[in-house]
Amino acid sequence: MSLTSLTFLEFCILALIIYFIVPKKIRWIVLLASSVTFLFWNNLSVYTVIQAIIVLLSAYIFGILIDKYHDTRKSKVFCVLGILIIIAQLIYLKYTNLFLVTANHIFNLFNININFGMVTRNSLLGISYYSLIMISYLIDVYRGTCKPQKNILKCALFMSYFPILTSGPFVRYENMEKDLYEGHKLKYDSLCKGLVRILWGVFKILVISQRCGYFVDTVYGDLGTYNGCFTIVAVILYTIQLYTNFSGSIDIIMGISEIIGINLPENFKAPFFSKTITEFWRNWHITLGSWLRDYIFYPLQKSNFIQKLNKKCKNIFGKKFGKKIPLYLSMFIMWTLIGIWHGGAYTFIIASGILQFIYIVLEDLLGPASEKINKKIGINTEAFSYKLYQALRTFLLFSFAMIFFRATSIGNGIQIIKSIFVYNPWVLTDNTTLFTAGLDLYDFRVLIISIIVLFIVDGLSRSGSVREKLFKQNIVFRWTIIYMLIFAILIFGCYGVGYDPAAFIYRQF
Amino acid sequence: MDKSEIYERLNNVFRDVFDDDEIVVNENTTSSDIEDWDSLEHINLIVAVEQEFGMKFNMGEVTKMKNVGEMVDIIISRINK
Repeated sequence: MSLTSLTFLEFCILALIIYFIVPKKIRWIVLLASSVTFLFWNNLSVYTVIQAIIVLLSAYIFGILIDKYHDTRKSKVFCVLGILIIIAQLIYLKYTNLFLVTANHIFNLFNININFGMVTRNSLLGISYYSLIMISYLIDVYRGTCKPQKNILKCALFMSYFPILTSGPFVRYENMEKDLYEGHKLKYDSLCKGLVRILWGVFKILVISQRCGYFVDTVYGDLGTYNGCFTIVAVILYTIQLYTNFSGSIDIIMGISEIIGINLPENFKAPFFSKTITEFWRNWHITLGSWLRDYIFYPLQKSNFIQKLNKKCKNIFGKKFGKKIPLYLSMFIMWTLIGIWHGGAYTFIIASGILQFIYIVLEDLLGPASEKINKKIGINTEAFSYKLYQALRTFLLFSFAMIFFRATSIGNGIQIIKSIFVYNPWVLTDNTTLFTAGLDLYDFRVLIISIIVLFIVDGLSRSGSVREKLFKQNIVFRWTIIYMLIFAILIFGCYGVGYDPAAFIYRQF
Repeated sequence: MDKSEIYERLNNVFRDVFDDDEIVVNENTTSSDIEDWDSLEHINLIVAVEQEFGMKFNMGEVTKMKNVGEMVDIIISRINK
C-alpha cells in the first residue's frame, strides 16, 4: 500500500475515526488492529504470520528474561540469543541472494563449476525496520534503559506501529512507550499541523519525486539514446527523487502520528545544506545513523579489540594518526552494514556504504590540509559563496554515489558513469532535445519551481519548524499558503498509471 | 574525592583527548561546546575518563549522557561504591 495511494488515505481515515471514537483505554488496540491489517495487507499467509510471530516472540520472551536476570551472565546470553534469532530471520528473508551471489563469485574466481540460482523470499513489509527496532528493544532492556513490555499485544504494537513500517523512522521503546499506549484526545492544533505536514509530504512525492522519476527512468532505461548531459541531469534528478520520496514519506508518517498524538524522531534536517558528507549523514536518515552509532559503532569502539589496537597504533604512528586507524576500521564495518541494510545487493553496499566511507575518511584526512591552504591563499570560508560551493560539492559527491544505488548492477553503474562522458552540450541549449526524455518544457518548469520551493522550505527549517512559523502568521496568509499547497498537489501532481502528459488535468486549462 | 577534584581531573582528560589546553569543563558542558567532541571522539573520551578514574560506564550511560554534570554524577556513584 503506497503512502500516496487512495487506499492508504481511506485506511488512515478509517483507522483514525475508530481510534478517536472508542474509549480512551482501548485506543491502543485500534492502533494494533490497524497495524496488523497494514502489515499483512496483500501478504497474508501462514508463512508471513510465522515470520512476524518469530520476531515478536523473540523480543517479548527474551526481553522479559533479560530483565529477570538483570546484571547476570544469563541476561547477556538471553540478549545475544534474541538478537541472533532476529538477525537470522532477517538474513534468511532478505540477504540469501547476497550470500549466493558472493558464493558464485568465489567459485567463479577459483574456476569451480558451481552456480547457485537466485531465490525469491516472500518477506513481510517493513522487515528491515521492525527487525532493527526489536533488536534495539532487546539491547535497551539489557542496558537497563527501559523495562520490558509484559503485555504481548502491546509489544506487538511497538513492533508493528503501521505508519513507520514503510520508511521508518527508527524508534526507541523508551520514547514510544508512553505515547503509544496512552489514549490520546483529538486536538484541533495537532490535526491542522499534522495535515499540513502530510500535504507537504504528498507535494514532495507527487509533484517532485514522481516527476523526476519519469526523466530518470527514461534516461537510465536507454543510455544508448540518452547520454552526456541527459545522464548528468538524470544523476542530479535521481538524488532529488530519492530525497523527496523518502523525506516526503517521512512527512506523511510524522503527520499521521502527530494527529494521533504520537511523537516520532525527525529523520531529515535539510541535508542538502550540509557542508561535508560527514555533516550530510547527520542530517539524512538520522535515526538509522543514531541506531548504528548506539548499537554498533559505540560497542565496537569500546571493545577490547579496538582499544588494544588503538594503543598499539598510537605507539607506532603517534597519538594523532594512531587513533585514526582503529576508528576507520570501526567506521568501515559500520558503513558496510549501512550499505547492506539498504538492500541485499553489492550496488547498495557501494552506494550507501563503501563510497560514503571513502568520502568521510578523505574529508577527515584532507580537511586540515584544505583549511591551511584556504588560510594561506586568503579564502573567506564564512562567505556565502564558499558555503554554496561546499553544499554543491556535497550534493554532487552524494549524487555520484547514488548512481550505484539506482543501477541494476555494478556493471550498469559503470555504464552510467561512462555515458556521462559523451559530449553533447547542445542538449541543454537547443531548447528541444532535453524535452524528449519523459519531461517536456512545461514539466521542467513545474519541477524547477517546485525544487526551488523545496530548498526555500528546507532552508527556513534550519532555524526552526516551518509549520510553527506558518501557524504564527495571520489567518489569511496561513490559509493562502495551505490552499496553494493543496492546489499545487491537485494540479501539478503526477498520478502514475500510464502517465500521459496530454491527458493530464492541468493540460486542459 | 570531591566534585571539584573530579572536575580538575576531568579537565586534564578533556585537554588530552581533544588536544586543547584551554578546555575548562563544568556541569553544563555538552558536546556542542567543544569543537571536536563528536560521536567519533565520544568513545575515546569515555575510555580516557574510565582509565583516569578506574571505573566503567555501561553502554546505556554512554549513549544517554547529556552533559559533563551527568558524567560526574555517574563517576561519583561508581567510585563511592
